[in-house]
Amino acid sequence: MSDPAKMEESSPWLPGVSAPADVDLDRVWLGVAAEVWHRPIGRLERLVGRILRSPGLARALLTTPSLLVPWIIASVVVFAVGAAVTASTGQPLVALLAPAVAAVGIAYAYGPGVDPAWELSQSMAVSDRMVLLVRALAVFVVDGAFGLVASSVSGLAVGITFDWLVPMAAVSALALAAATVARSANVGVAAGLAGWVITLLSSRAAAGQFTGALTKSVLILPYLAFAVCCVVVAVFASRVPRGSA
Amino acid sequence: MNVEIADLTRRFGRTQAVAGVTLDTGVGVFGLLGPNGAGKTSLLRMMGTVIGPTSGTLRLLGRDPRAHRSRTEIRRRLGYLPQALGYYPGFTVAEFVEYFALLKEMPTSSVPRAVATAIERVGLGDRARSKLRTLSGGMLRRAGIAQAIVNEPELLLLDEPTAGLDPEQRVEFRTLLRELGQRSTVIVSTHLVEDVGAACSEVGLMNAGRIVFHGTPDELVARGEGHGVGDAPLERGYSAVLAAARS
Repeated sequence: MSDPAKMEESSPWLPGVSAPADVDLDRVWLGVAAEVWHRPIGRLERLVGRILRSPGLARALLTTPSLLVPWIIASVVVFAVGAAVTASTGQPLVALLAPAVAAVGIAYAYGPGVDPAWELSQSMAVSDRMVLLVRALAVFVVDGAFGLVASSVSGLAVGITFDWLVPMAAVSALALAAATVARSANVGVAAGLAGWVITLLSSRAAAGQFTGALTKSVLILPYLAFAVCCVVVAVFASRVPRGSA
Repeated sequence: MNVEIADLTRRFGRTQAVAGVTLDTGVGVFGLLGPNGAGKTSLLRMMGTVIGPTSGTLRLLGRDPRAHRSRTEIRRRLGYLPQALGYYPGFTVAEFVEYFALLKEMPTSSVPRAVATAIERVGLGDRARSKLRTLSGGMLRRAGIAQAIVNEPELLLLDEPTAGLDPEQRVEFRTLLRELGQRSTVIVSTHLVEDVGAACSEVGLMNAGRIVFHGTPDELVARGEGHGVGDAPLERGYSAVLAAARS
């Protein structure tokens, strides 16, 4: 039995219940609070954390504003409608939509204007550029997966399923570059969509069909060169300026 | 010395925000005073590795932040509260602090306890599971301070930390500052002279991008004796130094 002399007064949390004098209630409470307040790590976050070898990157990828559930839902809807139209008309709408959907997602993966804690994020050990890169990659992977599923609905579209990957890279890079330079995700979205619409209209004017922008192998190198240029612009615009000392 | 700065400048287009600052400081609380536009926030942002200097040398925690690896190491041991704290409205206080603890690359196993400790230290324990969108301005400021101290930083940079706090909270915050300053270098930018008098062991006064005074609060008070305007001794010292710098 505890010595009454060693007992403290009643606990403020549990009236009438006494605690031994050698128990640090603050420490006990912190242990309880740590358990209660801790956000449980889901399976997906754990898996992503292992793949990226960074719990911080995993949390940044899965919980911050850029990769929101509404964006994923919107992508599913767009690809589903595209697949339905592709199946019913034989026109490869999925392939035409895919680059634009990815561009929107990647523009919103960039921080300023979207991420309210952008300045704070820039002082973190997990760099904002790495977060941006991982988010952009995630958009590509998710849209690629949606696009493949949607394309598989119609055998007619399967032949060009992979054709949109290169244009998608170019349009997404344009959206990212515009977002970083203008420090506005909406500007990035507008630039990406405008760029892709102009490309499709130019293709129709030159070859008589929209799909020329996807299927002409001669365009692969220009698309890739354009994508590289846009990535260079994005990297330059998001750099931490260095002193001359 | 945890902060070593020599001839540091920062220019934004035609505006010279920081115009040749030299400063060395170690463990303790350093108060950075100055009028609006003096360059305090730009200087803190450079020390927070958010922006780079235009010229000059900057060493933090014995490292050069220009090198990627050094910058990452500095950031692990840094706490930063920006003047305009952005936040995710849908996060709870605990989620917000935990998020930044993870981005500071704290060991995952130590994060929950560190988060609980930081939240309790700023007196937000009863609101730990409240969404940030439901908090008052003062509470949000305290959540921002909690994320800044969650990693027990060796270098803590606080830009206007007492903005939005009521008088009672400001008194508690000064106590926290003094505690933190026993082990870390704490640099507090403020325009509230009384915060400096109550919590800081050193003071720097900035004007037009330069440090025009560096000393103890008592030395600043001495500058105001017999001249200067203001109700309190520190205010008189502040105004006397500023008047001399501008004349």
